[in-house]
Amino acid sequence: MGASGFQRRKIEVLLDEVDSLPTLPGVAYRLLSTLSAPRLTRRDLQLIIEADAVLSARAVRLALDLGSPPDSVTSIDAVLAAVPLEAVAADLLGIDVVDPQIAADLDLARLWRHALATGMAAQAIATRLGTTSPPQALLAGMLHDIGQAALAITLPRAYRQVLDHAALAGTDLVEAERKILHVDHATIGKRLAGRWGFSETLQNAIWLHHQAEVPATDAPADAVLLQVVRLADLVVRQEGFGYLASEQLRDGTAEGAERLGLSGAAAEQIGRQIASAFVLNAEPAGLQAAPTPEQMQAVLSGARVQLGRLYRSQYQQALKARADAGQSDLLVRLSGRLAACRSAKDVLAGVVAHVREALGVKTVAVYLVSREGGYVEGILGAADATTEHFIHSLAKIESAESLLSGFLPAPVSSMPGRAEGAEAWLCEFHGAKFGAGPFYTVPLTAGKTRIGGLVLAAKSAQGSLPPQDAAQLTALASVAAVAIKRVQAEADLVALSEEFAEVNRDLHAAEHERVQRRNVAALGEMAAGAAHEINNPLAIISGRAQQLAADEKVPARQEMLKTIVQQASRVSDILADLRQFAHPPAPQFAEVDAAAVAREIVAEFQRGPNAKGPQLRLEAPDAPARIRVDRGQVSSALREIVKNALEACSNSAAGNVTVAVQPISAEGSVRIAVIDDGPGMDPQVRARAFDPFFCGREAGRRRGLGLSKAYRAVVASGGQMTLESAPGHGTTVRLTFHAAQAAKN
Amino acid sequence: MKEVYSTGEAAKICRVSQQTVIRCFDAGKLQGFYVPGSRFRRIPRDALVKFMKENGIPISNLDTGKKKILVVDDEPGIVEMLVDTLQRDGRFEVKTASCGYDAGILTQQFHPDAIVLDYMLQDINADVVTKAIKSNPSLEDTRIIIISGMIENDKVQSLYDLGVHAYLRKPFQIDELINKISELLHI
Repeated sequence: MGASGFQRRKIEVLLDEVDSLPTLPGVAYRLLSTLSAPRLTRRDLQLIIEADAVLSARAVRLALDLGSPPDSVTSIDAVLAAVPLEAVAADLLGIDVVDPQIAADLDLARLWRHALATGMAAQAIATRLGTTSPPQALLAGMLHDIGQAALAITLPRAYRQVLDHAALAGTDLVEAERKILHVDHATIGKRLAGRWGFSETLQNAIWLHHQAEVPATDAPADAVLLQVVRLADLVVRQEGFGYLASEQLRDGTAEGAERLGLSGAAAEQIGRQIASAFVLNAEPAGLQAAPTPEQMQAVLSGARVQLGRLYRSQYQQALKARADAGQSDLLVRLSGRLAACRSAKDVLAGVVAHVREALGVKTVAVYLVSREGGYVEGILGAADATTEHFIHSLAKIESAESLLSGFLPAPVSSMPGRAEGAEAWLCEFHGAKFGAGPFYTVPLTAGKTRIGGLVLAAKSAQGSLPPQDAAQLTALASVAAVAIKRVQAEADLVALSEEFAEVNRDLHAAEHERVQRRNVAALGEMAAGAAHEINNPLAIISGRAQQLAADEKVPARQEMLKTIVQQASRVSDILADLRQFAHPPAPQFAEVDAAAVAREIVAEFQRGPNAKGPQLRLEAPDAPARIRVDRGQVSSALREIVKNALEACSNSAAGNVTVAVQPISAEGSVRIAVIDDGPGMDPQVRARAFDPFFCGREAGRRRGLGLSKAYRAVVASGGQMTLESAPGHGTTVRLTFHAAQAAKN
Repeated sequence: MKEVYSTGEAAKICRVSQQTVIRCFDAGKLQGFYVPGSRFRRIPRDALVKFMKENGIPISNLDTGKKKILVVDDEPGIVEMLVDTLQRDGRFEVKTASCGYDAGILTQQFHPDAIVLDYMLQDINADVVTKAIKSNPSLEDTRIIIISGMIENDKVQSLYDLGVHAYLRKPFQIDELINKISELLHI
């Protein structure tokens, strides 16, 4: 036992060194011929791999090495789906070939044919069953004796003894292996499959395919697959596809078939099918004939060439991938740099700086064209390493048409091209700084619209643009265009919000005006109703008081009664005033000299220069300032305003009120301003200054209908009335009227 | 109070033609006398009243010697106050109405010398009442005085254009109203 343990361990250690197994010369010949063919198809490759256990194992290992999960690699189909054809080809080009002498000595072709037949039979059985995947059954069948191949190839002389022993003793191979090698091929196969990372399912199929009784397993599908492989193994041996030509068969076929729910006859039928179809698969796989040494030599040298070609192409791809990674690095940096820019100018400067750094050129210009604005704006990085910002009117650019032509709704090529013609304007404006070229240009485009361009001088006078630089310029131009569009959109947004603010202000003003009008109208309605209701009781109060007064002999009481009458009359006056305010008489328009009106009103209020209280002054042009208004109404309005201004100043010892008449020819209007340096109004008072009965002064002085009435009258005459006031800064009321049209000749 | 009437005056009071009055006078149905030295017939007040009663002619048309005033206003306080004022004066016989409809009927019956009319009545406005009066020839001597708290200055003229004789704004001076009426009725 000690010796056998040692022997077994030695074999295990030896096999642990086995990284890959060689295949038969015939198979290698077919494989390498196929791989060296001008056009390799997946189908051709698949046929060869699927017909050879060693190639199948190698392909599965490749997929596993490249990261496919073991359970997903259940067939050669799955391998070819997971691994690029080129990679499979490159790997298989490195296949080793079994020494022809050994192959002949051990009759390995028989072993290979046994594996293929078993695979085919397993596939056929699986197809018949419908419960397990045929490609998986094929793979498991192919690989079930991989341990045998490994033992035979690794220990050819020992295995020769095994074969001899089996033949002499009439035992089966498993017994002979155990006898001679102290380990059987099923165990070795399982160990190899485990070391190579094959799935548990495959490992079990390899390990247990000689056992009639299958141990219970968690996965019933695995048990089925195992039975399929076992039955396939038996069936093909019946048909003469066993490794040992002399082996004596114990017929377990019917039993095995029954375990799978098939009849023995069905299993035999499958066996016969395989026997007749076998050559169809074996021939293309190279199992039928061995090549001559010359043929082998030729195909090996072809494989070397192909291997070299593949290596070079892989190397180029690796280089390109590294360059791509570098380029996208640069683009990420550019994006970051441009994201911080808040103006188109910043973006342009950022692009210039980036191009200089990334491509190592000095002369580069980036510009954008504003069709609406009619200008070209850009940044020029000059040959002397300086940078300047420029704006040119499109009208001054001779070749502007070519700049604008890019705006036609046609696709614009985004690849760099030679620049001299289209970008001649840059040389015209910046010739000295721009250097001699040759120049390349790439348009900046947003969608299909050209928004600008990038121009740079090649590094050397003869220099063409290296392809990687061209690619980078193209990518860079699109990043720059996006950044420019972004800052332009932001600028538009700011402009839009400013417009909104303006519209909002206008709306507020209009709303205020509307509320003002509505208030006045509502007040008018109320006054009209109130006048009727109030005047009747007033008439009674007044009338009765008059009667009492007529009879009253006591003078004091008579006075009281007269007061009642007077106050009733005053209430009535207020109501009449209100009614007139709410329903002012329609203005009678006539041409009036505003200066004359102002002069008249000032004269009414003016007192001597030495009089106490506020002073009233007039500033008016000598020439008439003609307006078309209702003279009476505008006069009353001005009177009220002046009265108001004088009253505002009445508390200060030396107040001044100025009435200024100014024709404003630019606006075609005439303005009458009443300016006082009184205490002014705070914003709350100012806001309500035109409200009827609102009195900014202490309550009870005078009813505050004056300014409201004035406002109504001015508006009725087609004028505007505004009020400007702040506490401590006096008050200015401005009346603005359209100047009367000069009489036509 | 008038004591003696001419045949024309009697005809007007009785609302018959002057010829009818003369025939009745000559037939002795209406007692009277001739102005001495002339053929002018004169009828004493008592004879006229007797004649009107015998013939069923409404006595109300007979001049009481006071000027007849119709006060029209929908506000009872105003009406009361005006009636009080006019009766205190002593020269006026006053009747009242509170709406345009009543005013129309009373005008036909009462033949007022003057109407004191509130402009805005419950049913119709004073301009309609004015037009109705103006379209009736038998009321051509009726004076119309409008009082109102509701009329804008520019509308006052249109009232005068309709034939209104005076306009007073409420509240009014009582003396001014009496003066206006006296002036219009020549008393």
